[in-house]
Amino acid sequence: MRLSSCLRLGAAALAWIGGALVVARATPAAGVTTGMTLIPTGTYAPLVRSQDETAEVAVPSFWLDAVPVTNAEFLAFVQANPKWRRSAVSPLFADRGYLGDWAGDLELGPLAPPAAPVVRVSWFAARAYAQSMGKRLPTTAEWERAAAAGFAGPAGSTEPGFQSALLAWVTRPTPQPLPNVGSGRPNFFGVRDLHGLVWEWVADFNTAMVTGESRGDTGLERNLFCGAGAAGLRDPSDFPAFMRIGFRSSLRASYAVPNLGFRCARSP
Amino acid sequence: MKLLVTALLLLAPLLRAAESASGAPPAMPPCCAVIAPDAPLSGRSIYQLDSIWTNDAGRVSRLAALRGRPVILAMFFSHCEYACPVLVQDLHRLRAQLPEAVRERAAIVLVSFDTVRDTPAALRAFRERMSLDAGWTLLRGETDAVEDLAMLLGVKFKQDARGQFAHSNLITILNAEGEIVHQHAGLQGDISEAARAVALPLH
Repeated sequence: MRLSSCLRLGAAALAWIGGALVVARATPAAGVTTGMTLIPTGTYAPLVRSQDETAEVAVPSFWLDAVPVTNAEFLAFVQANPKWRRSAVSPLFADRGYLGDWAGDLELGPLAPPAAPVVRVSWFAARAYAQSMGKRLPTTAEWERAAAAGFAGPAGSTEPGFQSALLAWVTRPTPQPLPNVGSGRPNFFGVRDLHGLVWEWVADFNTAMVTGESRGDTGLERNLFCGAGAAGLRDPSDFPAFMRIGFRSSLRASYAVPNLGFRCARSP
Repeated sequence: MKLLVTALLLLAPLLRAAESASGAPPAMPPCCAVIAPDAPLSGRSIYQLDSIWTNDAGRVSRLAALRGRPVILAMFFSHCEYACPVLVQDLHRLRAQLPEAVRERAAIVLVSFDTVRDTPAALRAFRERMSLDAGWTLLRGETDAVEDLAMLLGVKFKQDARGQFAHSNLITILNAEGEIVHQHAGLQGDISEAARAVALPLH
């Protein structure tokens, strides 16, 4: 992970400590959206864009899990799908860190409370879970569209209280074990923990290329992320969005890393 | 003792040549192997992907059909204006650096990002335009298959509003088991290390 040294501080620091309201979720049948929130049609303004991209991308309405997937929910998935157990998973689809906080193949243990978000899951594993629920992973545009909302309105960037809460999260260390999902204050759409609990996989994380053409063009990427690279960004003060792009561009789909979990989405 | 071993090593190719001249099948270079199709795949083999691909002749197959030979794999799209023609030249250079026995066995595989425009006919036109011989395999697949392969290879790509793709220029070398043994990033660089990786013994 090329950018890890730049990002570790931030990755370890995003944590929300609050109450312990957990949104109950049942296994949904087709069409049922228990535990999901409808995000209405809107737009997403990419933090970084190439010259021929428009400033705003339309995001059709979609359902989003109100909270990240928990250890207990993922345990039920690996019970039903033995090939996703820690001892059985192909190294192609999940690296050695996979479910590394769990005590065993089918045992959560003290580092993985049932209602805490599951972390150390690869993109492949997260996608397989989502498919098993009849859902999918949200796209970057969808995730960012939901996460741009403040507490009081759809544009958190215009809410002073929301911006200061975001910055406060960045300075807090991550508790171990992680707090339960649903601890965070719901945003305008009723979605919790988009900020402050864990990083989350998105379906198209591998589009976070930033420099455009070439993976070999690492000098430019490094300048952009680790140097004084905020020039040219949509909003240089949107530090969390900036960190998410750097984090996503450093990932590979088999990585199972601490503090990286996921939630699911579904089209209406 | 050392001399004897050296002498035998020097003789070995001659012996093999004699063998093939006498009608026995030519010896397989160390990169390659005859692998039974039902032999279990290694845990690191990308041939665990069971997605379906179509080549420029319209023939349908799985990537596992490439098993047994080293593969030089890159993702591209045929409407590419700059990078892909350069990538093809890089692949020609790489192939030219391979020892002859390896060159005959190695497959160069180009997989398209463009699930819409790169039909078998479009791939066929690309083959003709770029004068690619039978050593080159051109494949297209559906969105899920392309996405999975890109994820496994670590290839980043994104389609822009004009339908063009921004993408990593990444050449991946697979051994005969379909395991990634080397990746070469960027265009027009020194590809000798990639060429050595193609010829590596299988195990």
